[in-house]
Amino acid sequence: MTQFKQLSFWSDAEPLECVTRTPEAPNVVTFSFQSPSGALFNHDPGQFVTLELPAPGGPLYRTYTISSAPSRPTALTITVKAQDGSTGTRWMLDNLHKGMRIRAIGPAGKFSIVHHPADKYLFISAGSGITPMVAMTTWLYDSGREPDVVFINCARRPSEIILRDRMELMASRIVGIDLKWVVEEPDPFRSWTGYRGMFNQIMLGLMAQDYLEREVFCCGPEPFMRAVREALAGLGYDMSRYHQESFTAEPGHAEDVPEDVIPDEQNHAEIAFALSGVTTRCSETDTILAAAKAAGLVIPSGCSMGICGTCKVRKTEGQVHMVHNGGITDEDVEDGYILACCSKPLRRVSVEA
Amino acid sequence: MTANPTSIHQRLDRRLSGFSLEQPFYTSPEVYALDLQHIFYKQWLYAVPVCQLAKAGSYTTLRVGAYEVVIVRSRDGEVRAFHNSCRHRGSLICKARQGQVAKLVCPYHQWTYELDGKLIWANDMGPDFDASKYGLKPVNLRNLDGLIYICLSDTPPDFQTFAQLARPYLEVHDLKDAKVAFTSTIIEKGNWKLVWENNRECYHCSSNHPALCRSFPLDPEVAGVQADGGVSKKLQAHFDRCEAAGTPAQFVLAGDGQYRLARMPLQEKALSYTMDGKAAVSRHLGRVAPPDAGTLLMFHYPSTWNHFLPDHSLTFRVMPISPTETEVTTTWLVHKDAVEGVDYDLKRLTEVWIATNDEDREIVETNQQGILSPAYVPGPYSPGQESGVMQFVDWYAASLERALAPRQVAAE
Repeated sequence: MTQFKQLSFWSDAEPLECVTRTPEAPNVVTFSFQSPSGALFNHDPGQFVTLELPAPGGPLYRTYTISSAPSRPTALTITVKAQDGSTGTRWMLDNLHKGMRIRAIGPAGKFSIVHHPADKYLFISAGSGITPMVAMTTWLYDSGREPDVVFINCARRPSEIILRDRMELMASRIVGIDLKWVVEEPDPFRSWTGYRGMFNQIMLGLMAQDYLEREVFCCGPEPFMRAVREALAGLGYDMSRYHQESFTAEPGHAEDVPEDVIPDEQNHAEIAFALSGVTTRCSETDTILAAAKAAGLVIPSGCSMGICGTCKVRKTEGQVHMVHNGGITDEDVEDGYILACCSKPLRRVSVEA
Repeated sequence: MTANPTSIHQRLDRRLSGFSLEQPFYTSPEVYALDLQHIFYKQWLYAVPVCQLAKAGSYTTLRVGAYEVVIVRSRDGEVRAFHNSCRHRGSLICKARQGQVAKLVCPYHQWTYELDGKLIWANDMGPDFDASKYGLKPVNLRNLDGLIYICLSDTPPDFQTFAQLARPYLEVHDLKDAKVAFTSTIIEKGNWKLVWENNRECYHCSSNHPALCRSFPLDPEVAGVQADGGVSKKLQAHFDRCEAAGTPAQFVLAGDGQYRLARMPLQEKALSYTMDGKAAVSRHLGRVAPPDAGTLLMFHYPSTWNHFLPDHSLTFRVMPISPTETEVTTTWLVHKDAVEGVDYDLKRLTEVWIATNDEDREIVETNQQGILSPAYVPGPYSPGQESGVMQFVDWYAASLERALAPRQVAAE
């Protein structure tokens, strides 16, 4: 290809064609796709797509962050890791090859620096949570200007750091991408001089002394993100500048948040407020607290950001996507309670309010 | 009846050792205020077993005189105590006696504190508001081998000496591996010192405590230590047998009399406080040998006496409510893996001390009523049976004298 054939952008009416697959690390593969029509990709860096995987038992829908940036618009890449017990991603690793076409839905998602422009960023991720960070850093790098990013990724071992070479290449060609790798343990017979241990408040201070001035983006398993939130909140960080994306449900929350289900603005949800006898319809991206208010109900609330826990209600039916800031105990979550201010309904939900 | 510090001082001066106190010590609001100010607000007080705060966010509240305190375990596992009063406009933060929370949130305007006391959210306080200046006020706290003590004073007295002495006795009971099997809280309509006086003797036991006397010995040769700290041969033999088995037992008393430890034998063949004298819990809490080691008696004035047995442990907390009311909280601790209905029967475990507490309540209330009569005058304690009561009253009088002494000096 010597030039763009046309300036049209891909939409999910068109399937994606797998053009390469690159092994990255054990059980981690990057797949690159193009649009058969030659259309370009124009997503927000950090957004995800949902793939329809034609598995034998019927299609599986799996959501993956796009690891490429729209500044390189001719291909769309995703980097996937098959966890133990995975079905969808395992199917991709075993069956998705060059030339195959699959249906995709999206792109979608609000987790992107384009919605939160700032002079300085702190990207902090664990495991495959690195992928939106890579996309966002690539976008900044490709702008040609010097970015100011502290980029932290936590992995089990150095060999399991996803897209490490790609990040180190960018960091070696420009000032302003400060990479910090944290591993739980080194690889056998290989020295490791980076950070070691579980991410904590002290590491944060060492890695980015000016973290209070940085817009924070965080992605990883919920316990990891909770640790980050608590470290930041405990240090007096303004949590309105904290943004996160979760792709791995905690085991205890598996029922609440099935793998890779993210609320979508286009989807309608229905909330039954059982004690009030009111049922209301809203978007999946509305919080239950906001939907209650719109329906003329008052759920007592305080901070509206999942810290104070005042809006705790019991959910008796359905699933929600809750991203709280430590304002509810694990035990209450297990007992079916949610914080209405930071819980978004998925399809139909019934709460005691 | 006036009871200003001077007249209290006169009453302390003319007090006869070996006699009960004059009426105002058991009845007057003025003495009650002095007791709070100089004893309960200054001394280390037993609060709860730490196992009661098992999970992050587990809290318990208690009232000490006018103070409201909350004790909470944070996510890092640390247990801390705070004044249970919001730094905004003072509201109580935790209203329940115990519970579990994600954060400490004031119910009034939702000021939100981290479990370590830091203020992390307060709405609309303006741009100049400095949240770091409004953390919860801490209360001194120590964890003595699974027993939480607090002190309200800004200059707490030494705790280390007591802790060092008590730790070897307590270690073998593994209280860190305990769970609360049952808690009872009763109000006795009597002055807190009457509750203590009644606790410190067993002169009343044979006629009042039929259930307890099935396992608790009445023979002063076995059950008591003489006023001078002397120990009978029979008792010394028991101490020696326990210590040979690796279980500290020897009678020790603080120099100022504030606390005492001794592992006292139960009735021959009795192993625990049950109606048949057999163990109450098959899965033992602790590593105490021999099986008939009896009961480790530990008191620490003014707030706690305890019974640590080979199979389970009992803590008692004494908290004054008014000049003539006292709250007594009893906590039965068993091994955390002991299963109710399998390793122990809750009724069998608790019935002896539930009955004994109730009998003691009635005794104390009846004693208080009699003391309220204008005809009451101090009476003599039994030298053979009530040396423990004399020891308590002497400690109390000395504590108050010491606290009030500067006033007297200033007046001269």
